[in-house]
Amino acid sequence: MKLKLPTLSRRDFLAKSSLGAGLALSAPSILRAKEAGAPADDIRVGFIGCGKQHEVLFNAMVNIPGIRYVAAADIMKARVGRTFSAIKSRFGTNINRYLDVEEMLEKENLDAVFVSTPDFWHAPHTIMALEAGCDVYCEKMMSNTLEGARSMVAAMDRTGKLCQIGHQRRSNPRYRYTLEQLIQKENICGQIVNINGQWNRALSSSQDIVSKPSILPDADTLRKAGFNQGADHELSLEELRHRFLNWRFYTDLSGGPISDLGAHQIDIFNWYLGAQPTSLMASGGRSYFKDREHFDNVMCVFDYDTPQGNVRAFYQVLTTTSSGGGYYESFMGTEGTINISERGAYTKIYKESGADGTKWDELTQRGLLKKQAAGKAAGGSDAIASYESAPPDEYALPGGLSKAPHQPHIENFLAAIRGEATLTCDARHALESEAPIYWVNHAAETKETIFFTEEHLHT
Amino acid sequence: MASKEQYSNDLGLTLGMLTLRIWLGFRAILTGIEKYAGTTSRDKDVLIDGAPNAYGLTETATGKVYAFSNYNGVPATLYDKFSNEPLIPTWGLNLYDTILGPALILLGLAVLLGIAQRTSLFAMGLVYTSLTFGLILVKQDAGIAWLGIHIIMVVLALALAKYNRFAILKKW
Repeated sequence: MKLKLPTLSRRDFLAKSSLGAGLALSAPSILRAKEAGAPADDIRVGFIGCGKQHEVLFNAMVNIPGIRYVAAADIMKARVGRTFSAIKSRFGTNINRYLDVEEMLEKENLDAVFVSTPDFWHAPHTIMALEAGCDVYCEKMMSNTLEGARSMVAAMDRTGKLCQIGHQRRSNPRYRYTLEQLIQKENICGQIVNINGQWNRALSSSQDIVSKPSILPDADTLRKAGFNQGADHELSLEELRHRFLNWRFYTDLSGGPISDLGAHQIDIFNWYLGAQPTSLMASGGRSYFKDREHFDNVMCVFDYDTPQGNVRAFYQVLTTTSSGGGYYESFMGTEGTINISERGAYTKIYKESGADGTKWDELTQRGLLKKQAAGKAAGGSDAIASYESAPPDEYALPGGLSKAPHQPHIENFLAAIRGEATLTCDARHALESEAPIYWVNHAAETKETIFFTEEHLHT
Repeated sequence: MASKEQYSNDLGLTLGMLTLRIWLGFRAILTGIEKYAGTTSRDKDVLIDGAPNAYGLTETATGKVYAFSNYNGVPATLYDKFSNEPLIPTWGLNLYDTILGPALILLGLAVLLGIAQRTSLFAMGLVYTSLTFGLILVKQDAGIAWLGIHIIMVVLALALAKYNRFAILKKW
């Protein structure tokens, strides 16, 4: 077990590297070329960050062949130990454990690393790994700042290495099928006029994370790792540990709920429309969690100009209420609506009563759709006939995903490393999609409409 | 005339007893066998235009299978509730969990085939009573009533035991 603590803080890193470009001067030790002789078949993998999201990724990887687990790094010793044990018990192999990412990148001969650290470390860790010759899979949001995200794209271009961003829906067969077959090829929605997306999460899932103090890093480690940044006073150990466990609540460490939850779904808006929004309005508040830095609920409206016409997209993220259908993205067109979600249970398709029934019947017969139920009027004495539209018929996707939701995205990353595929969400495309999201909190704070320009959105 | 009427009555009661044996026997056997039931699922490619789709969309075909490894004497939801009951010791619950399935199958076979009819019916009544005891503690009134009907049928079968025919072992 290597017990060396981090020697390069994130602030130091950014200052010295000038958004990554100066890394070659500041940290030459990690600029070695990848050693030759790595096995041709197995991809040698390391982990940067061994927290909860790392576990999600690891659990999605365990059924993928051709991976050799080599090393893991995290500033929390217990977490690295947990990763060591998980790999040992599953595969019977010992990995090398590090408390220092730089040391791991220096000493290990890695083909790929998976970055699942807090958002404010994504850019530094990704750039370090790219510069060290690794292909990188980095969790979304790319960074807590637009500048950080842009520095990742620059590093990817500079090094020529692969950088996949964890918008895993982009590799999900259900999402790809819906876009390519149902929307683009069969045009079942007709003209998409509105999009509506949400992630409603209950209070019980939004509480502070707590942990046994004895296994948490000490104050010096947390300060070196930058968990004190943005604080207006010298933080106590308790405050530092709260930031370490709950970094998503702090504006200097993360983008808040719109970034944590909304980014996945607003990415789908942009991907499906093949466009970036032209403007943004937003509102948000600390309505319940009054002592948190980020808003606990945010609503926003994007406007798009697309070849098929103008589209408005509404998105809300709530951390106080789970009712209202969970999480999904709804593409609402003149002929049909597709509610798609990473959860199959939330996915539904509706045919407008005026849509061409023959066409939908043919799609059903060919196996492109499954008919679930004919439209059923709500009825009741309070129904006013002249107000009512005929109820839409309900359909479903013809099949689902029989793997963990993240597995196809990781498979795509590994296939790209082997030269068998192109990335479904490289850093540049991810940033094209993420860039508007970085402006939501600002728009909500200022209550001003943002009309996007190249300056706002460039990658 | 009287002997013919007596014969008719005897035949009716004999058939009644046989009906109860069949019902109670199959009820217990199948309940016991179901404790070994499980499901299997198999993913298969969704066909579009008659060919496997290119996206990897799958649908899951599920089936029911029986295996010793699937055995669950006391259903998991009930087991959890029983394990919190101070009047049900853990060792007793585990023992009950182990023997309930085989006991139901053996008693069901005994009643169905007519082996030691009175004894096997009484034992079956005790099993249903023991199940009722657990349900009383966890306040499942519908289940208690349902088992009460079983007890009435067992008692009725015991009352008709002297009309028992087609039995392998008539003693006891």
